[in-house]
Amino acid sequence: MDLSKYAALFLAESREHLTACNQLLLEWEREPAATRPVGGLFRAIHTIKGMGATMGYAGVADLAHRLENLLDALRQRTVAPDPAVLQLLFRSVDALAASVEGAVVGADSPPDETLTADLDVAAAGAAFETPRRLSAVPDTGEIAGVTAWEGPVRPIQVALHRDAVMRGARAALVVRRAESLGVVSALQPPASQLDNHDFNGRFSFRLASGASEEQVLVALRGAGHVDSIRFEENGTGGAPAGQARQIRVDLGRLDALMKQVGELVVAKNRLGVLVAGSADRELAEVSDRIARLVSGMQAEVLAARMTPVGQVLERFPRVVRDLARDLDKRIRFDAEGDEIELDRSVLDEIGQPLLHLIRNAADHGIEPPDQRVAAGKPEEGRILLSASRERNYVALRLSDDGRGIDRDVILAKARREGLVDGGAETLSDDLLLRVLARPGFSTAEAVSDVSGRGVGVDVVVTRVRALGGTIEVRSELGRGTTFTIRVPLTLAIVRALLASAAGECYAVPLAYVAETVEFDPRSVTAVQDREALLVRDKVIPTVHLRELVRNQPRPAPPRAPTVILEIGDRRAALVVDALMGQQDIVVEPFDAPRGMPPFVGGATILADGSPALILDAAALV
Amino acid sequence: MSHTVLVCDDAIFMRTMITDILTQAGFEVVGEAESGVQAVDKYRQLKPDLVTMDIVMPDMGGIEAVREICKTDPDAKILMCSAMGQQALVVEAIQAGAKDFVVKPFQPSRVLEAVQRVLG
Repeated sequence: MDLSKYAALFLAESREHLTACNQLLLEWEREPAATRPVGGLFRAIHTIKGMGATMGYAGVADLAHRLENLLDALRQRTVAPDPAVLQLLFRSVDALAASVEGAVVGADSPPDETLTADLDVAAAGAAFETPRRLSAVPDTGEIAGVTAWEGPVRPIQVALHRDAVMRGARAALVVRRAESLGVVSALQPPASQLDNHDFNGRFSFRLASGASEEQVLVALRGAGHVDSIRFEENGTGGAPAGQARQIRVDLGRLDALMKQVGELVVAKNRLGVLVAGSADRELAEVSDRIARLVSGMQAEVLAARMTPVGQVLERFPRVVRDLARDLDKRIRFDAEGDEIELDRSVLDEIGQPLLHLIRNAADHGIEPPDQRVAAGKPEEGRILLSASRERNYVALRLSDDGRGIDRDVILAKARREGLVDGGAETLSDDLLLRVLARPGFSTAEAVSDVSGRGVGVDVVVTRVRALGGTIEVRSELGRGTTFTIRVPLTLAIVRALLASAAGECYAVPLAYVAETVEFDPRSVTAVQDREALLVRDKVIPTVHLRELVRNQPRPAPPRAPTVILEIGDRRAALVVDALMGQQDIVVEPFDAPRGMPPFVGGATILADGSPALILDAAALV
Repeated sequence: MSHTVLVCDDAIFMRTMITDILTQAGFEVVGEAESGVQAVDKYRQLKPDLVTMDIVMPDMGGIEAVREICKTDPDAKILMCSAMGQQALVVEAIQAGAKDFVVKPFQPSRVLEAVQRVLG
C-alpha cells in the first residue's frame, strides 16, 4: 500500500510523543520514585514502534523496540532508576527523534550499534521475571469432571500455516474455540511452551465434546491460519481431515505470473506519476486503489515463490559423505537455518555455487586424518553451512575447520602473474578473494599444492554477482576458511533508492543502503591516499558517482547527498548529485553489453517510463 | 447494510489507517476511542458490529477494555491490534474474550481477512 500519504501524520504524531517523552524523563529525574513517567514513556515509545513498523521504517522500529524492552523491564520493577539508566533513556529518545526525522525524508537507517548494545544490556539487567502463561488448560492428563463425560473424547492434531504470525497466540485462539465446544485436555506441547519462538505451529489436544467432526472442523478452522486438522493421536499417519489446502503449481506458471506482476508494477508506477500531475480527485483515488491492489498482489506472488533453503541444503550431507569416502577423510557436515526462505529463482541459482565451495572445502580445506591429528585437531573435520536472514538478503556461510589458505604462497603466485604489484606485502581478505576469483588464477594443481583453494572460485563469484549478491572470504592459516555469500530475497522486484549524477538516474538496491548523509567537505579525510568521509567516527572511503560515470575527475561539490553503502562490514560513501526517493523497481534480465563498466549490475524502467541503470553495490565498496 | 465498527487506538495515525482500510472495504466506522475507558463507553453507546482494539493505551489498556466489554456482552466481536513481541498480551486478550488478532505492520488484506473471520 502507498504509505507516503501517512508520512506527515507519522511525523507529527511521533514528534508529539517524543516531546512528551522528554517531559516525562525530566519528571522522572526530579522524582525517581514516581511511577507515572515510566508507564507514559512505555506507551509513547510503543506507539512510535508500531507506527514506524507500519511505515516500513525498520531503523525506527528497531530502536523503539529495544527502548521499549528496557522500559518494560523498568516498569515491572519497583526500584527507582539510577542516573546512568536515565542518561541512557535521554540519549535513546534523542536518537529516536533523529531516526524519525531521517526516516520520513527517505534516510531510514539502522540504529547506532553502541546505543542498541547499551539498551540491550540495560534491559537484561533490569529484567524482572514475570512469565505470563498461555492458558489455564492443564499441560497433560485428564481433567476432573471429564471422566463423567459419556460422549466421544477425540484426539485432535492441528497444524498452522507456515506463514502464520504469532503462532502461539493463533494456537490459543484455536484452543479457545475448542473450549467453546467442550473440554480440552492433554495439550501438547504444553501451554507454557506454545509461546516459545521455536514453536512450529503443530499442536495436539483431546476434546471431550458432543459436537460432530464437521462442527469441530468448522469451529477450529474459524480461528484462521489453520493448515490442517486431523482426528488422530499424535505420531500416527493418515490423510489430513478436511479438504486439502495446497495444490501443486508448475514453476513456469509462477514465473510467468511474476513477470506479469512485474510489468503491472511498472505500469502502476507510471500511472502514479501521471496522476500526480493531474487535478482529478476521482482519478487519484482509483490510482491509489490500484497501487494498493498491485502491492498486495506483488506480496502474495512473492510469498508464493518463497521456498525454504532446506530444499537445497538437504542434498549436501550425502555429497559430503561421498566426497569424504573418496578422499579417505573423515568429515562431518552440518546445516543450520534450513527454514530460512528464499525466492525459488534465487534458490535454484545458488545450489551450484554452494556445491562448488563445499567440494573445495572437503577436497582442499579439510586435511587427511593423520595431518589433523598431528596438528592437534580432532580427526574428524567439520563443514558447517548456515543460512540466516539479514535485512533484505539471506546470508549463507560455509565454514570449514581445515588448513586455511596460505597467503604467502598465493601472494607469491599473484605477484608472479602480475595480479598484485610487487611491493604488496600482505593480502587482506578482500584482496585474497579478488586474487582467487581471477579466472586465470584458478589452476587446480597450483593451488591445491599450496593447500589453498581457488578451483573455480571465479565461477562462484560470477554466479553470485549475477544474482545481485556478494561474497566474502575469511581465512586463517591452520584454522579454516569461511565463505559468506549474501543474496537478495528475490530477484524480480527490489526496492531501490534513486539517485542522479551528471543528469542520469541510477538505482541503488535498498538492501545495501545503510543510510544517507550529507557530503560535507569539513568531514573529509583520507585513508591510504583515498578520499574518505568521517561519519560518526567511522572513516568511509568515498566514491563520486559523477567521476565514475563520466570517467573524469572534477572538484568535489561543496555539499552533496551521500549514500552509505554497506555489505557485511565493508562500506563506501557514494556521493551523488541528488536523491530522488525510493521506488520498487523490476530488475530486467541484463546481458551486459561489451564495455559496460563493472559497477552496473542491471537495468530497469522507472515510473516515468525512462530507463535507469542499477548500480552493483558490491563493485563499489 | 454495512457493518459498523468502533476503532480504538491511542494513535491518530493508526486510527486513520485502520479507518481507511475498513472504509475502503465497505465498512462504516461509527466511532473512535483513544483510551480503554472511552472504548468501553463508546461500545455501550454505539453497539458496533466490530471493535478493533489496540493493546497499549492510556486510561485502561486494551485487554482490560476487552474484559469490561465482554462482561456485559460476551459475544462482542473484538479484533486485537498488536505489535510483534506482544504474544503474551495477545494470548491474555484472547482469554479475556477477544475473537482474533492482527499484527502490525498491517497488511490491508490480513486485516480484512481477520475481520471476516470475526464477523463470520
